[in-house]
Amino acid sequence: MSAQKPAQPNEEIETLADALSIWVGKLSDLVHKVVDTEPIRNVINWARMYSLWPVNITTACCSAEFGAASGARHDLERFGVLPIGSLRQSDLIVIEGTITKKMAKRLRMIYDQMAVPRYVIAMGDCAISGGLFHDSYSIVNGAHEFLPVDVYVPGCPPRPEALEHGIIMLQEKIRNSKVYPQG
Amino acid sequence: MTTTEKPATSSALETVTQEEPGSQTMTLSVGPQHSGSGHMRLIVELDGDIIINAQPDPGYVHRGIEKIIEVRNIIRSIPVIERPSIIDASNLNHAWVRAIEELQGVETPARGQYLRCLLNEMNRIMSHLYWLSIYGVFLGHTTMFMWPLGDRELFIDLAESLTGARITYSYLVPGGVRRDLPPGFTEEAIKRTEYFEKRLDEYENIFFENPLFTSRAKGVGVLSKEKAIELGCTGPTLRGSGVDVDLRKDDPYAAYGELDFKVHTRPDGDSYSRAMVHMDEMRESSQLIRQILKKLPSGPIRRKAPIVVPRGEAYGRVESARGECSFYMVGEGGDKPYRARFITGSYRNLAAIPAVLKGVRLADMPTSWWSIDYWPVEADR
Amino acid sequence: MSLPQQREENLIGILKENFPNDIKGARTIRRSRADVIVAPEKIVDIATFIRDKLGFDHPIGVSAVDYNRESRFEIIYHLSSIKNREQRDIVLNLKESIPRNTAKATSLVNVWPGVENFERESYEMFGIQFDGHPRLEKLFLNDNWDGPPPMRKEIRFPTD
Repeated sequence: MSAQKPAQPNEEIETLADALSIWVGKLSDLVHKVVDTEPIRNVINWARMYSLWPVNITTACCSAEFGAASGARHDLERFGVLPIGSLRQSDLIVIEGTITKKMAKRLRMIYDQMAVPRYVIAMGDCAISGGLFHDSYSIVNGAHEFLPVDVYVPGCPPRPEALEHGIIMLQEKIRNSKVYPQG
Repeated sequence: MTTTEKPATSSALETVTQEEPGSQTMTLSVGPQHSGSGHMRLIVELDGDIIINAQPDPGYVHRGIEKIIEVRNIIRSIPVIERPSIIDASNLNHAWVRAIEELQGVETPARGQYLRCLLNEMNRIMSHLYWLSIYGVFLGHTTMFMWPLGDRELFIDLAESLTGARITYSYLVPGGVRRDLPPGFTEEAIKRTEYFEKRLDEYENIFFENPLFTSRAKGVGVLSKEKAIELGCTGPTLRGSGVDVDLRKDDPYAAYGELDFKVHTRPDGDSYSRAMVHMDEMRESSQLIRQILKKLPSGPIRRKAPIVVPRGEAYGRVESARGECSFYMVGEGGDKPYRARFITGSYRNLAAIPAVLKGVRLADMPTSWWSIDYWPVEADR
Repeated sequence: MSLPQQREENLIGILKENFPNDIKGARTIRRSRADVIVAPEKIVDIATFIRDKLGFDHPIGVSAVDYNRESRFEIIYHLSSIKNREQRDIVLNLKESIPRNTAKATSLVNVWPGVENFERESYEMFGIQFDGHPRLEKLFLNDNWDGPPPMRKEIRFPTD
């Protein structure tokens, strides 16, 4: 019996396995519905928003301000943001700066390898619309061309305080979102 | 879900060669996502865990700046040419205005020259501190990541009070600089540089005289003097191999001819030498800031210069934090250059990466690679 | 204000003595900047002479300029000297002009190994073929741009 492909309720029930899989399918729907009610949903969202771990990748020059934001004075770790480990363990990708076509391919690969739920912050004018280099031959004008972006942080480069504001906005967005339809 | 234009058919992923089964070596692709600074890839060929051959694969941040500066006028290009090495923006800006001023025949007044040197030296310290903090990420040394970034904020505040921006100043224009010192700047700068030099003593004790660092960096990633010269290396990479070349002394520009400072070199050419050259330069820049503020002459800071690139050729060179940054500019009249060739320190040091990494263990690769201070954004432009 | 330009004139004098037919032009732009324009066929010999006899052992870089109205490319090797301390501030520009439609030049990698990456970049940005280069392929434009060499003057920008 496989929980991934529950038999449709209006198909002919031919074997015992089919009957069990319908029962399990209905059970997993029930679990989803229960988890998405207020108290459990708030706990899960609280855990997600205060432990956003970004992938260790720097795209271009905004990385200098991301580094300064993670540093001693504007400490991003007090928001729970800690760049650590492999990208399979991360749930946030910060597109810092200009995206060249060569890098865009790899960013998409990295995004696809991250586990759900995953969020995207587009940091800097170049990641929003191409910025200062918008007419160059080798760049992509904005991260939204190939990734679903959650928060845009404008600036060239944005101050660390602006990045912190962006992270707080993302946390508010997570607080008010449902647990399951994320992907 | 694709990018707006079709991706190129010849992918660099296919340049990694396939070995025959049973061969001795293994080819590994390191990057562009790895712990430490991203946006660069190395294709290393390993025999066991010794690197036989390391080929860099740059181009992840290639934004076509040389083409952009041919279509924007010389003032609007200043933010564009500052961005390659954003943490060292003032030095790149200085190379640009040097080339233009040579073509125009404009001379900056003395006070403007000293203020240029002031911002250049502050940028040198900021860039070296950023280098040191990313070194901490590569080595797995969290204190080495946090402390330099905290002390860097001392100088970022000073730069912000002088120019109005944290890291991208656009402060130097042809003919001078844009703003004068705010009141109270000199006392604040002297206090901060004196505090910073005490911090440098602590850094030496905790980070560099620590057997955890010396055992990882001494004798690792050696670049001989002859190889460094014939490969065209520059900056701390060259000075760490015993060659005492520094453009501020060899071909003095701005106010450096009247200032008193030493050029620091180390003879061994290994990662430890290059790291210590960075430390010595930070100390030297800190005392240079105090010297500049003491010797600062009075007078105007800017002479009006037209927004035009006269006919001719000029070569503007500056010693930036990572080495020599230069512009070869060809003008034909009008407000845009006909050709502006941009050669940066990291681009020249790209040639040193295969030479430094040959024979190094894979585990020592981050130590050796980052000691060259190769900043991919600056090399790709 | 013209500072003495004796050293630069001396260098040009020595070059003209040794290669009387191949130096097409030479001048001192100002103090510490000298230009030498040579015939492309003899550039390897002249470059070896400059490295060994004149002491210019440190390559700074290679630039290429597209003079499309004169139908030529100009390749410039920027050189500096570390061996001779008195010459350390001089930048010697070694120039050669090649016709635009058959853009072929000889690589100087065997004279100064450091010019390898620069010649690769000139190949991908302008389409200039360097004979004898060990690895003439794209350096920065892999996956970034698949069209004709972008730095040529006929490639225009949207905002142009």
